Amino acid sequence: MVKHEQSMAAAGDVVVSGLNVGKTFAAGTVVALENANFDIKRGSFVSLVGPSGCGKSTLLRLVSGLIEPTSGEIEVHGTPVNGPRADISMMFQKATLLDWRTSLENVLLPTEINGTPSKADKNRALDLLKLVGLEDFAFSFPAQLSGGMQQRVALARLLQTGADILLLDEPFGALDEFTREHLNTELMRIVAEVRATAIFVTHNITEAIFLADQVVVMTSRPGRMAKIINVDLERPRPLSIQTSVEFNKLVEDVRETLGAV
Amino acid sequence: MAVQDATSEVLVDTLERSLRNRRIAKHVGIFLTLTLLWELGSRMGWLDPLFYPRPSNIIRSFWLIYFQNANVWFHLYSTISLVIIGWVLGSMLGIGLGALVGFNTVIRRFLKPYVIVLEATPRIAVAPLLIAALGFGVNSKLAIIMLVCFFAPFINTLSGVINVNEERLELFRSMRASKTQILRKLVLPDAIPVIMAGERLALTAALSGALVAEFIQRDKGIGSLILVYTRNLNMASAFACIFTLTIIGFLIFKGMEKLDHYIAYWKYEGGRERMSSKRKRTMVEP
Ligand SMILES: Nc1ncnc2c1ncn2[C@@H]1O[C@H](COP(=O)(O)OP(=O)(O)OP(=O)(O)O)[C@@H](O)[C@H]1O
Ligand SMILES: [Mg+2]
Repeated sequence: MVKHEQSMAAAGDVVVSGLNVGKTFAAGTVVALENANFDIKRGSFVSLVGPSGCGKSTLLRLVSGLIEPTSGEIEVHGTPVNGPRADISMMFQKATLLDWRTSLENVLLPTEINGTPSKADKNRALDLLKLVGLEDFAFSFPAQLSGGMQQRVALARLLQTGADILLLDEPFGALDEFTREHLNTELMRIVAEVRATAIFVTHNITEAIFLADQVVVMTSRPGRMAKIINVDLERPRPLSIQTSVEFNKLVEDVRETLGAV
Repeated sequence: MAVQDATSEVLVDTLERSLRNRRIAKHVGIFLTLTLLWELGSRMGWLDPLFYPRPSNIIRSFWLIYFQNANVWFHLYSTISLVIIGWVLGSMLGIGLGALVGFNTVIRRFLKPYVIVLEATPRIAVAPLLIAALGFGVNSKLAIIMLVCFFAPFINTLSGVINVNEERLELFRSMRASKTQILRKLVLPDAIPVIMAGERLALTAALSGALVAEFIQRDKGIGSLILVYTRNLNMASAFACIFTLTIIGFLIFKGMEKLDHYIAYWKYEGGRERMSSKRKRTMVEP
């Protein structure tokens, strides 16, 4: 509760913003994203939801600096994005762990890339593995873990970077319903705990609303931000909130925007 | 619960072992019967003893060439040392060039047609040319072995380096990894299993390459020894040499398997478990 109030107090300063951002592929023939404008506030959790091919991953990769916009500009912490940066960390649909490394070594990868990991870095990695519930699997190899556990290692690696902006591209999309629900709850707790700003891509409307402070609804051909919906549900949120009237109103709102009703 | 599991595991173990023993017994039985038939056929004159020496004679030849005359050791040493040196040099060249070509798209495009031509040509056909160019002796033998060893590691390293997982590459880029870091921490370790497969093929090829070189040069080595025995119609000793090569081939296979378990440990359950507890120990101790 206290933490949440603090993040509300810090709200107001924008950490990620986009101005008329557009991205085309294949020499302009494929418009992946058109005229996107957005401001994301510090500590907020933003969900991107929309049909396949509407440019969700493209938007995320633009923010991460992996690709450059064709038009417009993205700023993070007040400076234009022109390549991958230390204050942003990204997680993908697949765990993309390195098979020859243990969980601990996988979590330490981002630290290794910035230099030689210290004892403190190792302890931090072990703490993060504990945070995602894998303290007993620090020395296991990916092939010895289930899909859900692998994804949790990837989550620990995401947090190990120390970045305060987390980009998650359908991180639990390949997992079964039970595991996904469980990991979503964990994610919500962890993101609040480390006070990060999160942008979370999903196909799942319920999931999008449940996790987010704001839901960005996107439509395709061309990829557009159709509507930004504020989710003013109290935190912490129990799973049962998904059956409440307010929640279902929000679901309705998203569905209408998507034109799926 | 745990006790029950343990007993059932023991049960399965003994069952597997007895099945395995029975299988081995069957194989040995068939082998002995065939050998006996061969011996019998040779003695009864059904098989020409000139070309199909009796098993008992082959065994005697083993005794002769290994202990009584002990002349095989010199040739064995010559062949094996050449195979190992040629294999190491040839495959190192293959791995090095494979990595280089894999990383440089310009070189890759330029070299592609040559690679295709080289792949389509039986390498061994070039052997006489190499001998003509380098003369008789160790140099041309090594060159032939290196030539037949080069290709599998080259192609496998190349494909291992080219086929880097796009998602992993993106991960490394998002972590702002340098080119060298991507090479050292992603591309090379990722390519290790496929490089090892190439090395395995290369070592087998090296043995064949050495034999061909020895057949042509006829100075020393198991290949020239086989040639000498066959010309003297000493087929029993020729067979003893051939079976020696069978044993070497088998040892190569087993040795490479061991090496693979050691180097590409994450591909095997046993290897993972071994490294897992090893890493735990090194983490806890200091
Ligand atoms: N590298 C690329 N080259 C060409 N076209 C691309 C590229 N990346 C994306 N696109 C196109 O841009 C559009 C948006 O793709 P994007 O991956 O952002 O969609 P998405 O919303 O993430 O879809 P999904 O939910 O299926 O992951 C698609 O039409 C896609 O074909
Ligand atoms: Mg996508």
